[in-house]
Amino acid sequence: MEVKQGQTTDGPLETGIIDTDIHERVLYPDLVPYLDNPWRRYITDCGWVQEKHLPYTQPTVAGLNRADAALPDGRPAGSDLAFLRSQLLDELNIRYGILTGALDPSPSSMNGWHEMATALASAYNDYQIEHWLEKDSRLYGSVHIAAQDPQAAAREIDRVGPHPKMVQVLLPIDNIVWGDPYYHPIFAAAERNNLVIAMHHNEPAVYFGRFPRYFIEWHTLISTAHMMQVTSFVFNGVFEKFPNLKLLMIEAGFTYVPHLMRKMDQQYRDLRHEVPWIKRLPSEIVREHIRFTTQPMEEFSKAEFEQWLDLLGSEEMVCFSSDYPHWDFDHPVGGFPNMRDSLRQKIFHDNALALYPKLPQDHRR
Amino acid sequence: MQQVVCKLTELQPGELKEIQFGRISLVIGRTGAGELFAFSNRCIHQGAPLSKGKLCGTSAPTDLPGQYSYVKEGEVLRCPWHGREFDVTAGGQMMSDPRRALGRFQIFVAGEDVVVSTLNKPEKGEVADEQK
Repeated sequence: MEVKQGQTTDGPLETGIIDTDIHERVLYPDLVPYLDNPWRRYITDCGWVQEKHLPYTQPTVAGLNRADAALPDGRPAGSDLAFLRSQLLDELNIRYGILTGALDPSPSSMNGWHEMATALASAYNDYQIEHWLEKDSRLYGSVHIAAQDPQAAAREIDRVGPHPKMVQVLLPIDNIVWGDPYYHPIFAAAERNNLVIAMHHNEPAVYFGRFPRYFIEWHTLISTAHMMQVTSFVFNGVFEKFPNLKLLMIEAGFTYVPHLMRKMDQQYRDLRHEVPWIKRLPSEIVREHIRFTTQPMEEFSKAEFEQWLDLLGSEEMVCFSSDYPHWDFDHPVGGFPNMRDSLRQKIFHDNALALYPKLPQDHRR
Repeated sequence: MQQVVCKLTELQPGELKEIQFGRISLVIGRTGAGELFAFSNRCIHQGAPLSKGKLCGTSAPTDLPGQYSYVKEGEVLRCPWHGREFDVTAGGQMMSDPRRALGRFQIFVAGEDVVVSTLNKPEKGEVADEQK
């Protein structure tokens, strides 16, 4: 296989690629200038860091990152814009890249101390705007919030959401199912600011609230955590209440979706009376409102890939994502089967462009 | 086609090196025991540069769940992205699916030089590393 710069499978894409999952890495010292006291002092004096739960840090030769993405000076992967430009944006011909953060800190995943979480989210947003979004025209950002306090989260969305390069609100997937009406002020704020809701798993304990013995089990079952969120959004009527809202499910691939749509449709036929605010088949709601990233891609032949899209019933639901710089990064050439030009254009560019109304809506570069 | 790629002294046991073989990028190296190997530098999965990976060992297949036995130290090439393992002493076979293997090149020592060639027999007078 010959990998050429700026190509997707089957050749270059004139529009370039939209990458819907790029993890810039923020380090705690980066956030300090954006924090007021006492929050700043808890980090500088007391050494505060967010608690982490995932017991697996070893999956590949460089932990959870690509071995070739660490910086030559030893700084962690994803922490330097110039290096990210060279290795990802330029190399892969990325037209627009959506930053999804390192999820550390992940304010919405903090247990307790919501005030600290709220301060961290604001600091993260200000840092992201100044050091990433306003430094490269290709990069667009995620509004980080402390969703445990939905009113404060909505205020943060209203504060930074109008920034022209903020395109979504990011919610981590851990131990909260976000369709609950308690969190609806967040979705109202996203809708009024023309922002997508995006979900990316952080450290969900996928075995009945605990972690399985092996990373291979956890990584296999990440999609189950995503299935809970999709089901929660659909049956709690989030899209009935916020008809302009769109949801992007990041980093569980899309092969679980045909099963889930069919299962939800079947349940709806029998149990509609329990959720009378749902007035159409769940699969129709999913097709209209929810998009799914490609990564992590299973290995497909061309025919298998098309069969899976047939099961989805749409070619507009799947958006390319690389997950750079993480270990399970997908390359737009090596990670994909050959596909016809019209489909390639949708997967690598057009579907994401249609999802994000704040991206410049020009199909030509 | 064959090409001198470095001196043997420039490639120590346990070391990986990226070299250009004509227009092709190769990963060459020596196992912990000193055996030379040469493969295409692109992983057969997604094209990652294998020279950025690790030459290491791995856990031996076992019939006993929970048993770990670290073997083949210096004989397993792990991809820098997804961590796939390739056995450099078995023609670059992918360890999770031996039906698949890395693109392989011949590598041998001629005097003080390390020479890479396409998979033909070494020319007369040259000693293939595998025969040493």
